[in-house]
Amino acid sequence: MSAKNLFLNSGFVRAPLQNGVGRYVCQLQRIVLKFCKSHGGSRGMRDFIEQDLVDFAKHHPGVVVYLKPRRHRSPVIVGEYLNGDRVWMNVHNKTHEEITKWIEVLRTQQGDIASVRLRKYQYTDHPSIQGPWTPFTFKDPELNTAELPSSKFGANNRLPMSATEQLRLMFEKQKISTKTEDLKIAE
Amino acid sequence: MALIRRFMPLFSKVMRVYPITVQSQKIHRWVAPTLMELKRREDKLGGKKTYPRNTYLEWNLEAELFAFGQRLNEDFDPDLLLQAFTDRSYVIKEEIQQKKMGIDIKMNDNRELAKKGEEFMSHYIKTYLESVLPKFPPEGIKGVLKHLTSEAVLANISLHLGTKDIILASQYPVEESILANTFKAIVGVLLETSAEERTGRFVRDFVITQLQGQDINEFWQIDDPWSLLNTFVEKDGGKLEPRLIGEVGKNTLLACYQVGLYIDRKMISSGYGETVATAKEMAARAALKKIFGTEDHMKPIDFKLEGLPKTASQTRYQISAS
Amino acid sequence: MSAAKRVQQWATFARTWHIFDCKWQDPYESANIIKKYLMGQHKPIYHPLNDCGDVVVCINSREIALRGDEWRKRAYFHHTGYPGGASWTLAWELHNKDPTMIIKKAVYRAMKGNLQRRHTMQRLFIYHEENVPEDIMKNVSSQIRQSRLVPTRLDHIPEEEVKQYPKVMDYPKDYVLK
Repeated sequence: MSAKNLFLNSGFVRAPLQNGVGRYVCQLQRIVLKFCKSHGGSRGMRDFIEQDLVDFAKHHPGVVVYLKPRRHRSPVIVGEYLNGDRVWMNVHNKTHEEITKWIEVLRTQQGDIASVRLRKYQYTDHPSIQGPWTPFTFKDPELNTAELPSSKFGANNRLPMSATEQLRLMFEKQKISTKTEDLKIAE
Repeated sequence: MALIRRFMPLFSKVMRVYPITVQSQKIHRWVAPTLMELKRREDKLGGKKTYPRNTYLEWNLEAELFAFGQRLNEDFDPDLLLQAFTDRSYVIKEEIQQKKMGIDIKMNDNRELAKKGEEFMSHYIKTYLESVLPKFPPEGIKGVLKHLTSEAVLANISLHLGTKDIILASQYPVEESILANTFKAIVGVLLETSAEERTGRFVRDFVITQLQGQDINEFWQIDDPWSLLNTFVEKDGGKLEPRLIGEVGKNTLLACYQVGLYIDRKMISSGYGETVATAKEMAARAALKKIFGTEDHMKPIDFKLEGLPKTASQTRYQISAS
Repeated sequence: MSAAKRVQQWATFARTWHIFDCKWQDPYESANIIKKYLMGQHKPIYHPLNDCGDVVVCINSREIALRGDEWRKRAYFHHTGYPGGASWTLAWELHNKDPTMIIKKAVYRAMKGNLQRRHTMQRLFIYHEENVPEDIMKNVSSQIRQSRLVPTRLDHIPEEEVKQYPKVMDYPKDYVLK
């Protein structure tokens, strides 16, 4: 399933202009609140404007707030971001609390995140610290000067010790111990 | 038979198939064709028409300028800030119009502010880089400085700070050079109104952080890494020995060689390449990166240095330009 | 892309040429080992769409060792597509005709039956004896380890070593070997 025929753009998790690395800049540039002064659907919006708007503007002086009273139209919030995105949101029949929450969402976004499908949920500038794998990473350097095919590199070296080999080692150990006994006797 | 008929309702309940609901995006089937048709009509009329933001009904230049300053957490003098956003082309256009109307309102443009800002920025960035990359030679620092103060980078920064809508220029959409100039003018305004330290912090937070995630060595082209490395090694009194330490698929088109550089039988770096010569060159480059302290796994650049950095000390590798 | 990144990618995706000695090995066990190298599953960068498989050169395929009485009983089926074109060939007959076929069929059978299989098989070179063409032998830079132990023949060990080897017991001098 490729993304070529879908009209939802895809992107990665990025911060515009390395936002947090230096200082943090609120990405919401301006917010336009369109509402009707008398229609019922704008009630929540009108309540927000009467009660919470001035506090919002005081606490976030970096966001320009525009009010557009429009008769016979449903209430709408349009948020414009520093990267040029425009988020249009219909808040018809939404309550005061809901609108407050949605405005908080718009303020803390960094653009229109709903229009971008995240390809991965992580991003890093340095995917590898020790260096990416190459065929040379764990290669035995003796292979460079070896005459291939050779039994040293071709034979299985993970087999358990055979009975013959065990006996031979026991014999060697015995030889050493008898030698030391002879020396002790000689002393 | 009667048994089956008796227990039929139970069987049917057991055998009822519950359909598994599939989560699908709620995009109607007519949305895509509609958008395609709208785009086709738009293109027929000559492409999408965008109007400058200051022609909209909801626009308050004073409020926008105030918010611009507050957003960046800086205190700007409002008149100077407006002067910073006024471009020469706009002033010319306005003067022509005013001559026709017979009025004479003087408007200042941002050329002097831009010059002051540019001077301060270059000096600050240079000394900051020198203190943060102590082993990097002056040519490299010049390369990085050239990249950071280039038009493309400054225009990108300016765009993402929201100057595109506030700039007063003759043409829309605004060109890159005007955006870059405006950014320099803003630095100039900050220099006039606040202390140098504050301005330095501003430049550090917006310009120097553009180095995050970038490979510094890309901004400085070394033409002959082998001879350059030799000058360093001979100064310390050693001898470079390149050796072929790995090869894969010698006769094929996808051949890959690994060359290691040794001083006194100890490996200092290794490089890969399609041919032995390329691999040797890349090994020399890797060794140079190690000397300058700018490898892939170097310690990240410190973007939190405060105050005005002191000028470079004497212990810097001087590479003669001649 | 900068030169450093380009060269790093070239190295990471480089195709290694391995050599594998089939002498006295079970072809079906070896096929399991060889297929991993052919598909690239021995690399941490493996992905089926990555085209990261290596080349394997098999030598001494005439010397393979099938288990038990498989030489006499294992039959390979082939149908030409035409009516009456079915044929069952026993392992020893096939080996006599073409000594590389058994190991080739074993590797083909070990792989998953997807569309990449035929392409991956093209990376396998099989030679029935030690003689490999020089231009292929030049590319080889690594060896795959066998799974079965190849014991050394008694007459291939030098005489003094045989005489000096420690004995657990020996026949009495007047014992007559039948």
